[in-house]
Amino acid sequence: MKTFLLFVLFMLIAMLVILLAIVLGASGAWYFAWLVGTGMIVLITAAGGAMLDTQDEHANLTAEARTDAKRA
Amino acid sequence: MHDITVVDLSRWQFAITVLYHFLFVPLTLGLSFMLAAMETVYVTTGKQIYREIAQFWGKLFLINFALGVATGLTMEFEFGTNWSFYSSFVGDIFGAPLAIEGLMAFFLEATFVGMMVFGWDRLKRGQHLAVTYMVALGSNLSALWILIANSFMQNPQGATFNPATMRMELTSFTQLIFSHDAQAKFVHTSIAGYVTGAIFVAGISAWYMLKGRHIELARRSFRMAVLFGVLSTAGVITLGDALGFVGGQAQPSKLAAMEGLWKSEAAPMPFNLVAFPSQKEQVNHDQLQIPYALSLLVTHSMDGTVPGFDKLEQQAVVRIKNGIPAVEALQTLSSKPGDAAALAQFRRHEKDLGYGFLVQRYAEDVSKATDAQINTAARDIIPEVAPVFWSFRIMVAMGLAMLAFFVLAVIFSLRNDIERQRWFLKIAVWMIPVPFLACETGWLVAELGRQPWTVYGVLPTWMSASTHSVGYMIFSLVGFVGLYTVFIVVEMYLMLRAIRKGPDEPHGDDTDWDSDPMLNNSAKAGRLAGYAEG
Repeated sequence: MKTFLLFVLFMLIAMLVILLAIVLGASGAWYFAWLVGTGMIVLITAAGGAMLDTQDEHANLTAEARTDAKRA
Repeated sequence: MHDITVVDLSRWQFAITVLYHFLFVPLTLGLSFMLAAMETVYVTTGKQIYREIAQFWGKLFLINFALGVATGLTMEFEFGTNWSFYSSFVGDIFGAPLAIEGLMAFFLEATFVGMMVFGWDRLKRGQHLAVTYMVALGSNLSALWILIANSFMQNPQGATFNPATMRMELTSFTQLIFSHDAQAKFVHTSIAGYVTGAIFVAGISAWYMLKGRHIELARRSFRMAVLFGVLSTAGVITLGDALGFVGGQAQPSKLAAMEGLWKSEAAPMPFNLVAFPSQKEQVNHDQLQIPYALSLLVTHSMDGTVPGFDKLEQQAVVRIKNGIPAVEALQTLSSKPGDAAALAQFRRHEKDLGYGFLVQRYAEDVSKATDAQINTAARDIIPEVAPVFWSFRIMVAMGLAMLAFFVLAVIFSLRNDIERQRWFLKIAVWMIPVPFLACETGWLVAELGRQPWTVYGVLPTWMSASTHSVGYMIFSLVGFVGLYTVFIVVEMYLMLRAIRKGPDEPHGDDTDWDSDPMLNNSAKAGRLAGYAEG
């Protein structure tokens, strides 16, 4: 249920963003938008990859801390 | 007079070759920037796995790139062999971007692809990253020039007809490059490629996770692909709307075909969600409509309207009648180049020269064209509505399905429990063909919707083809279909072999994952569930 609600929320956000972009830029400076947008997409993608490593490290540290606490 | 069978066969040949070619292109456009993102993480974090991720996807990129080039080369020659009148008529405009595209593809893109593949151990990290970015930029800029050329066919800008040379000549390179159609079309197509690349990487990564192979590579690739994909899909939908908005103003008959708009209606216009258009009766059967939606979608206002085919046909009759004196003047000028009266007559009617050409298909001597012939020519401005109407809806439905897929994928990936969602991983694998089909249907809308013109409002398709024999066209068509099918089979074989083999260094296989300090407990649990199932 939580996943479904998150999905609905994220879809609404996506739709809102698309609607906003449509309203603001029917015949916009699309070459410029492509240049900026591609840079942003690539950087967010790279950050997402690095974030996964951080999440893994954090999860491992938490698991180790729990194990240490049990032992103590 | 052209043999219409030859024209139709030329259209079939070009359509088949371009649709084959465009199975390779979007993946090149998208995967190249994904490689750049993967390598960026390698260079910034120094983690070896990202180098291997970039190398693995780079191998698949290379297979696709090589076959994309092979299928693309023949198309440029087809303009000369099968569309010689078109090439002579608009070659001055069309040739310039096509030549720049050739230079971009062969000098920028191909050079850097070589450095990217062979430079891993020869270049410094930063240098190699710069090379990868240049490959991505080169691929997309190469597509830019082709799309500028195509946009000229959709919405001719920056050119004028010169009666002295009897062909179109470039008047403004800036107008050609910066036309609204070119801008929206390039960004829409380029980002559609990003979506294709993202689904491709996500789908194959999902397959690895389902099989319990190369898990660490797959998890990271999946995360990056879905982030890349969700942002790109939002962009592609936005630009799809922009292209519809711009294209609808420049090509009202294409817009009417996309919407199945036989009769003009008052604002606010309803949108035909589902309908079965009948070309013969000029009506839609069994239509399901959303009130007000069409005005909002295509004019971005509640009181905007767009003309239906009834109005467009009436306008075409007027324009054909106005274009006939322009064609007559050209006939005079071709025998007497300095004739001032003919030149003056041409200048008065040149706006509708293309419409004058339309009736020439039915009346070789346009001065004797009857009302019936003019009406038949006017009806020709209606493209085949049903394939345009349905291709558009299939493309849009696939775009929305991909957005929903990526949103859910991002949720699972950010929560770091994607490996446990085996039902979703299976969907991810089945999603791989979707963006390819969406791209193909998009091109069907663009090209079928432009008919009966090769250059909208300027040059009819029936005049554009070469005067080959039917036998020659059938022979070359069969040859191309055979050759391109071999290319597809080769691509599929090489891709599947490389995917089955996986990266050179295994990552996260069942032999070593237990000792992997980077692996969290949820990932291990998911993997165990995977092994239990499969």
